[in-house]
Amino acid sequence: MKITRETKDNTIIITLDGELDASSSVALDEELSDPEIMAHNKILVNCENLNYISSAGLGVFISHLQRFEDAQIKLIFFNMQDKVRNVFEILGLDLLMTIVSNYEEAMTIADE
Amino acid sequence: MLYKTNAKSLLVTAAFVSWALLLANILLAAESTRQGGGPMLAFPYIHNFLTVIFIASVFLYQRLSAENLKGIDFIGYLWNLFSKAGIAAYLSVALFLAYRLTTDYANLTSTLLLHIVYHVNFGLLVLFLAKAFYIWRQLLLYHKNKFLQIAWDWFELLLGATLLLTLFNFNYTSYVFLPLLALLVFYILFLCTNLKWVAYLTFNKKSRSLVLLGAILLSCYIFARFFWQFTDSKEILVDYTDVGFLLLAMLFVGLYTLAAFLVSLFSLPTSSVFEQKSEDLLNFQRLSQSIQQGQSEAQVYDTLFESTVKASDASAAWLEVSKNNNMQTSHLLNITHEQIKAISHLLQAYKLHNIDYINNNLDRNPGFKELSLPWKSFIILPIKTSTRTFGILYLLKDIENGFDRETINVLRTFTNQTILTTENLRLVAESLQNERYKEELKIASQVQDSLIPKTFPVDSWFEISTHAMAAKEVGGDFYDFLQLSESRIAIIIGDVSGKGISAAFHMAQMKGIFHGLMQQDMPPSEFMKQANSALSRCLEKTSFITSALYIIDYRMKGFMFARAGHCHTLYYNAMMDDAFYFQTDGLGLGIIRDKSYSNHIREMYYDYNPDDVMVIYTDGIIEARSPENEEYGEDRLQYMLKQTYHLEADDIKHAIINDLLDFTGPDNLYDDQTLLVIKFKDSQPNI
Repeated sequence: MKITRETKDNTIIITLDGELDASSSVALDEELSDPEIMAHNKILVNCENLNYISSAGLGVFISHLQRFEDAQIKLIFFNMQDKVRNVFEILGLDLLMTIVSNYEEAMTIADE
Repeated sequence: MLYKTNAKSLLVTAAFVSWALLLANILLAAESTRQGGGPMLAFPYIHNFLTVIFIASVFLYQRLSAENLKGIDFIGYLWNLFSKAGIAAYLSVALFLAYRLTTDYANLTSTLLLHIVYHVNFGLLVLFLAKAFYIWRQLLLYHKNKFLQIAWDWFELLLGATLLLTLFNFNYTSYVFLPLLALLVFYILFLCTNLKWVAYLTFNKKSRSLVLLGAILLSCYIFARFFWQFTDSKEILVDYTDVGFLLLAMLFVGLYTLAAFLVSLFSLPTSSVFEQKSEDLLNFQRLSQSIQQGQSEAQVYDTLFESTVKASDASAAWLEVSKNNNMQTSHLLNITHEQIKAISHLLQAYKLHNIDYINNNLDRNPGFKELSLPWKSFIILPIKTSTRTFGILYLLKDIENGFDRETINVLRTFTNQTILTTENLRLVAESLQNERYKEELKIASQVQDSLIPKTFPVDSWFEISTHAMAAKEVGGDFYDFLQLSESRIAIIIGDVSGKGISAAFHMAQMKGIFHGLMQQDMPPSEFMKQANSALSRCLEKTSFITSALYIIDYRMKGFMFARAGHCHTLYYNAMMDDAFYFQTDGLGLGIIRDKSYSNHIREMYYDYNPDDVMVIYTDGIIEARSPENEEYGEDRLQYMLKQTYHLEADDIKHAIINDLLDFTGPDNLYDDQTLLVIKFKDSQPNI
């Protein structure tokens, strides 16, 4: 699992590459817990190369969800593969989180 | 044992009788000589025979009573030899002097008295030789090999054979036997080189043994001198120096004593080196054995400190041991805390702490010179592996060049052995701890196993078959049922995120919630709302639970269900001959932890037909991977049901599980797998 973060103006783009399992979700949790993140109001997660997400990985996003909502930070997933999207959908997360098909769409929603 | 005791008493009797007869014979002959006639023995052959009997019985007696060498108490043996045999020589001297004094004082010459004294001394000599001979045998054969044992046996045999010369009254000085005897002397010289026991004496013991050996040597000399003085004497009728056996035995005892004396004397200066080496070895052994003896780390450091100080002969030392990443001085020798502090500051300044450092001339270093320490050599030995430091050992000596290469090697070996021992001690402790955790996990696993129902109610209107497999000792999957009324049954399945103990706890909690809430008989969506509210208070932030609850009413021939983020239910409808997934919305439990959760849960009602099949499972089934990293997937599960719907519930389950195993391959279980197959039946129960 490779997690990279880039900052553009007010937007943070996190790119997930590989499989987000129990061990790599710890690294993701650290990344999302970084206080610097709270200084931005848009977080875009690029899931293009995310091949698998475990319940632990989902748990990390869920645990930060409320915090981002309270701070009015938008969390948007884009370029998600079907099988990963299916996992989000089964759990019902697609109704709680914003999942869009590509970067442009993500930027449009973020800027709303 | 009885035989030995009998033989011993027989030998003692034989010795006494033969000695007494010898004395009588001599006295008789002496008397007859005094009364006239030439000096001649009455029965020379009988006399020789008696002599041989006496010598042989005394030697054999000593041979039988010689004990096996016990331990390495060589001083004890030497003392035994001196006190029991050496004394005989001094007795004989005393006896002879008494005789001389009496004769001089009374101014009379009594050949009879002289003969008695001479003969008593002969007896003492034989006793001395026999005792000394067999004690030397034991020491000589210390650490023996086969060759030495054979050489010794032959020596004893040959020596015994020389008694025959006496028996047949041969003169051993004749030219025929002289070369043979000379060879025997060389043999004795060869045997005298076997002195391994001397090496085991410490310096102290060597000095004591020198005294004892000297005393024994003196005994030999006294006897030799006494009998030599009567050689070919006109006063004495029999000359025991003619007995070759005695001469050879004397030669052996004397030479061996001399050899032992000389070897002890010359090895005296080197013995301290050997003592140190053997002590080092013993200490290495103590260090490496501390694990078996269940010693603590502190005891290991005690041993290290003592051993290194001794091995290097250090005049001062201290040891710092790491405790919670903090160095603490645990051992001190001839040094004050102030001095340690001063040296440590200096080392910090030089950046020398925690590395191997040797300074064999502290005065040359201005920093150390300023401290005006009473020591000249200094060595630092860190006890560390590449990953961690156990402690640091500091040794000081009051001479220059105090730590030579040899000493440093020994010290390093000690510190390395200590690292090994402490590491091993920690490993042993850890493995014990692990063993305990495993035991506790086993109990947890048994408890969890008892939480999952093994048998479902058997009824004529449906068949149910279950499969549950945990990836670890305890898992997060669960299922359960509750008979709500005569015609209604509630079935729940769930999956707690994560694995292991925490998942197992939440699973138990969920079971409690299920039984607690369903006693009140509520619709599935209401159950999910209340369960979410209950779980919100106790589930940690990153955890959530997916679950699905089914309430089957066979009187109504239908079921009601709600899905909270759990895998879609697979269903085969017999009327339409179609297998499909119920696509319903529903959010997992514990994701939203307030009232708004009720907006995210849906309920559905479905009428079933006989022969319909419902497959309920957890994500461990559809997310199971093949060796090529492919997921099993919903499609393959659906396909399997299409192939097997006509079978009994049990057979459908087996078919799916077998297919799953074929797909993943053996020993490829990463997530808990749970599968329930329910087949609805035509027949109605008798109400």
